[in-house]
Amino acid sequence: MLTCDTYHMPTSLAQALSLLAEAPPGSRLISGATDILPWAREGRAGDVHLPALIDVTRIAELGGYSVKDGRVRLGAKTVYQDFLTEAPLRASLPCMPYCAIWFADDQIREQATLAGNLVNASPVADGTPPVVALNGQIELARLEGDQIARRLVPVVDFIEGPGKTGLRPGEIATAIILDDAVGYGGSFQKVGQRRSLVISVACCAALVKTDAAGAHFDDVRLALGGVGPRPIRLTEVEEALRGKAVSLKVIAEVAELAADRVGSRSRKEYRREVVVGFVKAALEEALSDQPDVHVTIRGAGETADV
Amino acid sequence: MSKLKIEMEVNQRKVSRETEPQKRLLDFLRDDLNLTGAKEGCGAGECGTCSVFVDGKLVKSCLMPVAKASGCKVETIEGLATPGQLTPVQKAFHKTGASQCGYCIPGMVMAATSALRQNPDAGIEEIKERLGGNICRCTGYTKIFEAVELARAVIAGDMPEAGLEEDAVGASYIGANVRRLDAPSKVSGRLKYAADMKMPEMLQMQVLRSPHAHARIISIDTSAAEAMEGVACVITAADVPGQDGFGVFVHDQPVMARDKVRHVGEAVAAVAAEDLLTARRALSKIKVVYEELPGVFDPLYAMEKDAPLVHDYAQNNVVKHIPVRKGDTAAGFAAADLILEDKFSTQQVEHAYLEPEAGIAYVDADDVVVVISPSQNITHHRHMLSAIIDKPINKVRFIMSPVGGGFGGKEDMIYQGMLALAAMKTHRPVQLNFTREESIIASSKRHPSQVHYKMGLTNDGRITAIEFSMLSDGGAYGMSSEGVMRKAAILSCGPYEVENLTVDTTAVYTNNTPSGAFRTFGGMQAQFATESMMDMAAEALGIDPFEIRRVNMMKIGSRTHTQQALTTASLDRVLDAAQAASRWEPGAPTVRGALRGDLGGPDTRAPCTLGARIKQTGPSGNKEKVA
Repeated sequence: MLTCDTYHMPTSLAQALSLLAEAPPGSRLISGATDILPWAREGRAGDVHLPALIDVTRIAELGGYSVKDGRVRLGAKTVYQDFLTEAPLRASLPCMPYCAIWFADDQIREQATLAGNLVNASPVADGTPPVVALNGQIELARLEGDQIARRLVPVVDFIEGPGKTGLRPGEIATAIILDDAVGYGGSFQKVGQRRSLVISVACCAALVKTDAAGAHFDDVRLALGGVGPRPIRLTEVEEALRGKAVSLKVIAEVAELAADRVGSRSRKEYRREVVVGFVKAALEEALSDQPDVHVTIRGAGETADV
Repeated sequence: MSKLKIEMEVNQRKVSRETEPQKRLLDFLRDDLNLTGAKEGCGAGECGTCSVFVDGKLVKSCLMPVAKASGCKVETIEGLATPGQLTPVQKAFHKTGASQCGYCIPGMVMAATSALRQNPDAGIEEIKERLGGNICRCTGYTKIFEAVELARAVIAGDMPEAGLEEDAVGASYIGANVRRLDAPSKVSGRLKYAADMKMPEMLQMQVLRSPHAHARIISIDTSAAEAMEGVACVITAADVPGQDGFGVFVHDQPVMARDKVRHVGEAVAAVAAEDLLTARRALSKIKVVYEELPGVFDPLYAMEKDAPLVHDYAQNNVVKHIPVRKGDTAAGFAAADLILEDKFSTQQVEHAYLEPEAGIAYVDADDVVVVISPSQNITHHRHMLSAIIDKPINKVRFIMSPVGGGFGGKEDMIYQGMLALAAMKTHRPVQLNFTREESIIASSKRHPSQVHYKMGLTNDGRITAIEFSMLSDGGAYGMSSEGVMRKAAILSCGPYEVENLTVDTTAVYTNNTPSGAFRTFGGMQAQFATESMMDMAAEALGIDPFEIRRVNMMKIGSRTHTQQALTTASLDRVLDAAQAASRWEPGAPTVRGALRGDLGGPDTRAPCTLGARIKQTGPSGNKEKVA
């Protein structure tokens, strides 16, 4: 059971930053609250008492999103359901709808924020691989005197390990800034203990862009989750595919490279097998997901129409 | 602690309250506003019994701090229709029989309402997906999906509203689609389960549970907890005035651990306090000194000579052994052309009813001790409690509250005794609502079993003899083990006529969570072994699996394993119907895998997929498949 002495609902970033600066030690920021409430239960943290909770979801500056100059800026209040309901986000972040549909359920997605997911820094967070694949940065705001200062940190560096991030005392995550991947095909692969409402055992996000004929890979982005303490970007696979002709054979070959990136200590052999399958499936799905290109994948003696 | 001022519009009425800052929206609705249609099935966002609309968006109110809903418009199950009326969705749930125990139904109706508000044309795959956050343990979902599709058709005007009314009953009720009488109370959220009930001056109980599987209790010091402001009483086994012990067959379980604990999660002490938080804080002030004892966790080891004894009365830790003998097994095996031998094991299973255990006890003005709970066995509970609290039977009353799913798991009196003791000690009503975690740790489970099976058959598939030996882990207390072993023995060799059999079923005590009643009551574990053996025999003999069952099936005049002569038998018709319905491709069950001709087809359920709504509209159109 989670208890607190005070529950704050600041309406401006400045107010939130001062509340955070003045809050007694042990106070916490709250976004969607969909993780902290189940955390403070038997079997996890048990009964937890915190002096103050500072809820950031009434801060107007953290709302909304914009697409400009090849980048998408998501306010920290952006919830997972937005990736299913907001057409501009679906077009510019093609792997996010697939990630969102696998994330919890419609109701939890209305509350759970992408920023909260990243700041929690779970090694199996669904949100990390697609954000890393989209060259995501996290914007962190802090007070300097009575001015608000901000810095940008690549998410791949921001998440340092399980529950560990580069967030400094007094900082609040205010936005996630991502590549505008309009025109790319997207995919998200996930395996958990069951189909719905479950955290990943392992997951994989992909973005693919080919030439107009669908014959060659122009750009590929791949990231894994759940297979190590930190997010993993499969740069060697991405580089191996750049300019290559699309074929089942080449996909199968590069997918094998993913196995060696598995750093998890538990169920390692299983995860090695899973990620190879994920990379194949993600590439094939992302190829077929491109909005304006029809791809026919050819392999050695095989033809697969995706 | 600074109070929080909450102002919101709930079901179109303005509400303003001061409340505790840590309250979740669910607590505020249920405790402060007495809107108990939203339930707490898990408290962790898994089950959806608490779904409500906040500013038009469906959320899980157990995951929302109430401050987040301040200033918002909240709509609960109570607000969907005007009193006395039902919405088309609610009527459709009534029509199709979608509400059974009813505990998931308010949340399920909210999710169905949300799905059709979000997309009035939603197809069945999208409906399933949008209901994905709500769990039902009774229906298997089919009737729920039927209800949502029916409501969709009526709302869209594709079907007249009369389609929601009850079908006319012809000459017979048998075979007619009759609506359930209690459905309106469930689809409207009006039915009060035990956790929804409130009484004036009611105290809240919390239970201190054992962290050890097997330990002697050296001492329990409750003084610090009792001294706390707001604590009304603390109870332990020392408060039991009568003969302590309950159980479905053997009364081996004390109301709270007496002298030693036998499983993790066993109740050791309980606090009744003015509110839940005080009761929980008081638990941390109770000091229990344990001396850990070696435990026994493997049922095979439990029967060995040097194994620790769980109960002094039961040497070898045997709860119950049920032998069944028929014919001459040795002669039967001698006559066999083929003898198959194998081992089968099944695991512990939790019932996972959506309603966690809950109850209220009070002492009325005539000194009658009254317990209200979703007990599946109130008359037996009443008799047992009468001896435990040393009161004549006419001074003990049990009221069965609506059972939000039981499946056998609510047959054991694991908390009603504690409630009665606290009510007697305080003369105030006392309520205990289990958390989901508590329900899982403290309630009985399906018996894990190990079966050793030997079956003799002739070349034409006729069973000549069976040797069936089942060892079940009964856990720390007897509960329903004896009955489960009897049923397992009676059903052991299946609905087959077997002239020669040797059957033994045994349940033993261990320091695992107690095993108890669970749907089929031992039958499932036995049938898993028997039917697997039948399939393996069919494979070994090259016989069609349906045919080998027909060769052996009980018919009119057959004698059962326990020598009852049957005057009716229906397995022939069951096999015919199953064979036709499955479009069975005849032949021995040699592995053909995907080459089988009878896979898929109508009436088979395709695996769940996600992304129906992306597939339909597509972020980039032209979608052919999704994850």
